[in-house]
Amino acid sequence: MADEQKSRYLHYLELVTGSLEEKKRWRRYKARVKGLPGAYRTAVEALERYLMHFGPADGAEAMTMYEDLADLFEQSAADRTPIRDIFGDDPVEFVEAFMANYPLGQYRARERARFTSAIERAAQENRTTR
Amino acid sequence: MATLMTEMLKGTLDGIVLAILSARPAHGYEITAWLRGRGFTDIAEGTVYALLVRAEQRGLVEVAKVPSEKGPPRKVYSLNARGRDHLDEFWKTWSFLAERLQQLRKGGK
Repeated sequence: MADEQKSRYLHYLELVTGSLEEKKRWRRYKARVKGLPGAYRTAVEALERYLMHFGPADGAEAMTMYEDLADLFEQSAADRTPIRDIFGDDPVEFVEAFMANYPLGQYRARERARFTSAIERAAQENRTTR
Repeated sequence: MATLMTEMLKGTLDGIVLAILSARPAHGYEITAWLRGRGFTDIAEGTVYALLVRAEQRGLVEVAKVPSEKGPPRKVYSLNARGRDHLDEFWKTWSFLAERLQQLRKGGK
C-alpha cells in the first residue's frame, strides 16, 4: 500500500519534472565533467551549450549522448590529446558529426516535420492544378 | 585543398574506419594515428570518435573495454559480421563511383 502510493507519487513527479533516472545520469555526467582538467572541462562545457541549443534536450538518448561525450574527454585527458587534435580546425564540423548520431533536437524535429508536410502540400496542389 | 579533402572525406570516412578495423581491432586513437600517418593530417580525433559511436549504434562493431594503466578503460573496436557486410557494400559503391569518375575524367560518358 505504502509502496503503491510512493510509486504513484514518483510517477506523478516524473510527469512534472522528467525522469528521475535521467536526472541521476545527468548528475553523474556533471560530476565526471567536474573531474576533468581545466581545458577539457572548458571544451566540454562549450559543447554542452551548443548541444543544449541544437541537440536533443532530454530523454534517455540525450543522456547517452552526454555520457559518450564524457567518455571521449576522459580518454583524451588521460592521453593528454591536445584540444585542437580532438576538434580539428573546425569545431562545428566535429559537433555536427557527433550530434548526428542522436535524435534531433525538438526545435529541428518540429521544423523539419513542418517543412516536409508543407512541401507535400505544395506538391499536392501542383498535381491538382496542373 | 584541405577543405576540398574534408568535404570529399565526409561521405567516405565511415567506410575508411571500417576498412581499418577489418585488418585488426583498434581504439579511436590508433585509428586517428593511422590516418594521420598516411597523409590525412586534418582528421580530428573527435570526428573519428563520432564515427565509432555511430558504427557501434548501428551494430557494425563489437566494443571491448580494455583496462589501461592511465585513465579510464579503453574502448577497443572490432568489426563483426554485419560490419563486414557493410564494408563490402561500401567497397562496391566506391568502385562504382571511382569508375564513373574515371570515365568522366577521360571525357567519356
